[in-house]
Formats: sequence, structure tokens, C-alpha cells
Amino acid sequence: MASKLMLIASYEAENQTELALRQAFELLQPKLKPPFSLTIPNQEEYSQLNRAILYGVLCEPLLAKTHIKHLHAIVTDGYGSFVHLLIKVVNELYVKLFDSVKSQLIWVSKEMADVSAVGFGDLLVSLLRQSIGGDFSDGNLWLCYEMLNIFSTKWSSLLEEDPMVLTSALYTYLRLLADHCRSIHNCNPKLEALKRLEIEFCVRVLKEEFHLCLKIGRDLIRVLQDLVHVPEFRAIWKDLILNPGDFKTPGFLDISQLYCTRTPSTYFLLRITPEMETQLRFLLTHVKLGSQKRHQSWFAKKFLCGPERESLISDIVRFICCAHHPPNEIIQSEVIPRWALIGWLLKSCTKYHVEANVKLALFYDWLFFDDKLDNIMNIEPAVLLMVNSIPKYVDMTHTLLEFLFLLVDNYDVDRNDLIVKGVSSSFTMLVRRGVIRSLDVFSACDVVFPILKERLLSLFSDTKAKVHKDLDSSQHPHQFVIRMGLQNSSCMGTQMPSPKGQTVSTGEKGYKKHMEVVYFKLHCGLSKVARKNFGIGHLGNLNELQFPVLNMEMEMHLVVQTCRLHPSDSIKEVH
Amino acid sequence: MGCQEEPLVKCLFYRVESFARFGSCSHRAKMLSLKDIVPAAQNNISTQFILLEKGRQTTMATPEGQIKTCLALAADETAAVHFQFWGDECDAFEPGDIIRLSNGIFSYNRNNLVLRAGKRGKVEKVGEFTMTFVETPNMSEIRWVPDPNNSKKYMQEAVVSPHSRIFPPKY
Repeated sequence: MASKLMLIASYEAENQTELALRQAFELLQPKLKPPFSLTIPNQEEYSQLNRAILYGVLCEPLLAKTHIKHLHAIVTDGYGSFVHLLIKVVNELYVKLFDSVKSQLIWVSKEMADVSAVGFGDLLVSLLRQSIGGDFSDGNLWLCYEMLNIFSTKWSSLLEEDPMVLTSALYTYLRLLADHCRSIHNCNPKLEALKRLEIEFCVRVLKEEFHLCLKIGRDLIRVLQDLVHVPEFRAIWKDLILNPGDFKTPGFLDISQLYCTRTPSTYFLLRITPEMETQLRFLLTHVKLGSQKRHQSWFAKKFLCGPERESLISDIVRFICCAHHPPNEIIQSEVIPRWALIGWLLKSCTKYHVEANVKLALFYDWLFFDDKLDNIMNIEPAVLLMVNSIPKYVDMTHTLLEFLFLLVDNYDVDRNDLIVKGVSSSFTMLVRRGVIRSLDVFSACDVVFPILKERLLSLFSDTKAKVHKDLDSSQHPHQFVIRMGLQNSSCMGTQMPSPKGQTVSTGEKGYKKHMEVVYFKLHCGLSKVARKNFGIGHLGNLNELQFPVLNMEMEMHLVVQTCRLHPSDSIKEVH
Repeated sequence: MGCQEEPLVKCLFYRVESFARFGSCSHRAKMLSLKDIVPAAQNNISTQFILLEKGRQTTMATPEGQIKTCLALAADETAAVHFQFWGDECDAFEPGDIIRLSNGIFSYNRNNLVLRAGKRGKVEKVGEFTMTFVETPNMSEIRWVPDPNNSKKYMQEAVVSPHSRIFPPKY
């Protein structure tokens, strides 16, 4: 009998999971219709019956209700085995399942929610993992919609039985919304409707169950940040910053409480499909550095191809930093290290806003690092990527250090002390634990720009660390200010240098040239940006580079958000 | 590459092929590593490998008519080899696929020493991605000579090229 469950391509070997279900069904088919047997099955018969009923439910939509009644009659383990089988089907076979089977899967998942089956929360999570970021195919949007429907209709039972599932759904939909709200898809009415429902759901969780959301920790802020251009989330931002009391969560007084909570690794797994997880873990445990290229290109072809799929990269980087911590034997072996894989991913970004998001993902735990609560393994890849890039790819080191300092200065100006402390304790911890020998790897290195070395050392002296706090952004209520610690920027006054033919040289001159390129890149993205306050005198006085953003395009909005990041300024504008 | 030996192997190859068509030599052979395969006119190679690269499809005249073929680079943890897909197989597999070959044959075909399923063998996709591999030695780039002690067997004489000359190393 051919499989009614999934498409098996020619030349494809039998799938053991599918085979076990199908064989159980074939064997027990006569017993799957009323009158049902009254004898109590032994353990083996019970497992077999579970498999047969599952195959029946998934492959015979018209008889599904009969099958499920049968299940209700025989169940003795709180539906544990049945749900376990369902999760296996989702994790291993979802992509290949026939559409009708996928519909049945959603139907039976609702049934499992109704009876509060053992493990039904995990079942919903496994389904959430199948909704793919940056995938606008009908099938993927359908799954997003159906899952949202489950969370909305089963809201109160979920809240009672397994409330943390709602936070998993929130995290997932916030990430999906970041893609769904990209303006280029505004004309798709299906997507438009889905987007509205997603926004409603997320706002409901945030507004009604904020005490649960706090458990997501700092990455809740990171993912919310991408949505600050959506009015509903802008309002939530405003409350987060100005009216924390509005969330009716007595313990919640300030956004910094979220910053200081490390996000549990389960949230990062939510945005990586099981297949992606298998491949990434395989790369990071088996493939040797130097012979990873073919595997990397297969991975990219399968998961990162397509115009919108790039947004996945920041999720992958969070997964690698926070959810894949290799043991010492692997670290000391020839296996490709995490930093090298991240370096490749960073190089694969073609859009500036994606690249900025990926760098933020890489450094996010640095900003709030607390050596008592945080794990050094989360910050290790970034420092090793910077250090190991020095000999051959010092541009990468420069870009990353610059970005880190940009974050220190701008991520949240009102909580700058916290961030300076986080980043300096990150460096201190990395040295103390021997990840890097000492800060000399940067500060005594000839090819690293002197200005960046100075910035690095200034992190460790309190007075200098606060130098960048003195510019009161409220003086420029309608200006978006990007500050970079330039010593002398006079060369940048009028001309727009071309990045073509730039060579990286050392010293301040080299740094200036490099910053010209950085500036040029920013400028290219800012087609509607006025450059009014951009003058030599201004720069001379403030020792800062400023350019106001009057009306920015979506792409740039996201870049700047990620560089500047804390939307409190824009909220003040609204205020 | 091995021009002098070829007629003998070819002849052996055809004899066993015709034997295999009528006889039954399809007992389940043990899984071989690619480094252990030796050219022979027997459909007895069972192995598993990952497909690295596919070449251009060509058509070949056979007694049964024109047939599509496609040469590919395949490898496991021990060695690489040129694998030849026939007919529908050509479109059924992609680089990164893990393939199980049962009762395959490693022999000369139009001057190329290739591994293939042959008429009695079978190729199946059993997975993707999760296999490591080496690209050298390449078993198809070795010169084989008859074993002086056993004329039916072949032994390695020299390495013609450490890597595939048809699919030169990309990275």
C-alpha cells in the first residue's frame, strides 16, 4: 500500500516513522471501526493501537471523528504516547506531508488541547517551529494562520494548563511579524489579514499576560525593536519606557529588568526548524574547519535562498551563540568553530539592515552581561571572530568593534551605564577565563585602528566611558543622531567618497578612510535623508558626526533602529 | 588511464552483467567503505556515500536504445569516486543527498572507471547533509593492474591524480 501520509519521491528510501504507522494501520484496520473490542490491550498492543489510530486520523479525514472516539475509549496514559507520536511526525515528516494530512494534524492538535493531553504544549511548540521566517508561500502562511487560530480559540485552557506556550507563540509571531510587516508585501490581502491577527494576538499577550512575557527575557526587547514602526507596537514601546505600571505586573518597574534576564535557549530553537537544527549541529560537531564549504553551500541553498530568507540569519546566530554550546573536546578539535560559521553567515548578508540585525544578535548578550547570571559561551563567538579575523580579515574586526561601540553609545542612552558595565564585564570575563589572552590582542595589534583601541581602553575608565553621554539628544527632538567617536572628521565634510579602490591602511588616516566607506554605505541607504547639519564646524565643535534623518525609508529605518536601537527618542517625539 | 587493462575488465563486465540478468547473485553484501572498492565485473558493491557534485547529462547508445547518463562526484569518510547515474536516476538526486547503493558495480565504462548501480543494483536516497567526506583519494583516478597472483583480481598500481580531474577541487 502506498503512503497516504506523505510524498515519497522515487529513489527515496522508506521512512521508518512513516512505515511503523502505516504497518500498524494495515495490521489493525479491521479493529478500527465499531464495535470496538472491549478487551484491555497490553503495552505492546496499546502502542500499536496508538500508531494505527494516528495513521487513521491523519489519512482518513472522513473517519477521523470515529478514530478519535476510539482513542478516547482506550486511552490510559493521558494521551502521552499519542502526542509523542504526533510530535515525531511533525518534527521528522512535516515538510513532506500531504496538505490534507497537515489539515488533520491541526485538527487533532486542537483535540489534544481540548483534552489537555500530556505534552500538548510541546506539540504546539513543534508546530510553531515549522512556520518559517521569510517564507511567503501559501503553505507557510496557512500554518501561521492555523496556529494563531489555535492560540486564540484555546487561550484560556492554554493559560491554565501550559501558560509558557503562549510566550513561545508570542516570540514566534513577533519574529514572523518582522517579515510580514515589510512593506513590499502590502498588496497581498491574505497576508494583510494574517498580519492583523498576528498583531492582535501579540498585543493581547503583552498587555494581558506581561508577567509571563518577562520570562522571555532580553530577546523580547530585541524582537520588539524590529516592529517599532508598527503603531500598535510603538504604543507598547511607549508604555515599556514611560509607563511600566500599565502592564499591571507589580514587580515590573523598568525595562532594564528585561535586559538583565537571560533568554532561555528554548526560544531560539523556536525559529530554527528541526532540520536546520540537525544540520547546524552536524556542522559544528563533525565538519572540519577548511572542508566546510560544500556543507555551507548546501545549507545556504536549502534554507537561505530567496529574497526574504536572509532574515533567518539573525535567528541562526542567536541559536549558535545561545543554544549550541560545544563541549571541550569539540572546542579543542579541528571541527569548525562557532565563530567561523558566524563569520560566514555575516558575510552572506546582502542587505544592510539584515547585517545590522545579525551583528546585534551576535553582541546582544554583551550589552547586559552579568558574570553571575550570564554564560560566557554566549559571548565567546563574537570575541573569537574579532580576534581570529585580525590576521587576514581585519575589516571584519573593525566592523564588529565599531558596531559594538556604536551600541555602547547609542543602544539605550538612558541606560548607558548598564551597557558600559555589560560590555566591559564581557571583556573582563573573556580575559579572566582565558578565551583571549588579554586586551593586548587588540590594543597591541598594529593593524587595528588606533581610534578603536582607544575606545576599547576607555571602556575601562569610568570618566571616559561617560564622555559620550554628554550630548543631550533632547536638543534635537526631531533629529536622529548617529554618533561615532571620530577624532577628526574634517575630511568627511563635503565629498562622497567612493568605496571603490579603498585600501585598508593602519593608523588614523586608514581609519578615516574606513569610516568614509562606512559613511558612504549609510548614505547610499538614505536616499531621502537631509544632510543639513553636516558641516565641518559642527563636527569640530562636537567632535561628533551627526546627520539628521527627516524622512527615512523602511530599509534605513531598520538599519538605524538597529544601530541606534532604543526607540525612546522617537517615542519622546510622539509624546 | 588504464587503456591496456580495459578490454579485459570490459569483457568481464559484460559476462557478469549477462550472468546477473539470469542468475541470482543478489545476496546482501556487507557495506564497503569507498577506499576498499576494487574494479571487478561483479554486481556486489554495497556502500553509502554523499553526492558532492553532478556533471552534465549526456545520452549514451545502449542495446536498449538511447539512455540519459550523468557523471557525478561522490564520497564517504575514506575516499571519493566517480558515480554514474543512469536514466531517471539523473534527476532524482541532488548534491548533499546521502545515497545507499546496493549491489552496485565498479568498472570501466567508455574509458571511465565508474561506480554505478548497474542492472541488478539499486540506489536510494537515505538522507541529506549529515555525512562527512574526503575528496582524496579518488578511486576512479587510480591505475589498476591485474594481480599477478590472481588474474581475476585487480590491484592498485599508481595514483593517476589525487583528486578528480573531471570535478577539480572547488574550494
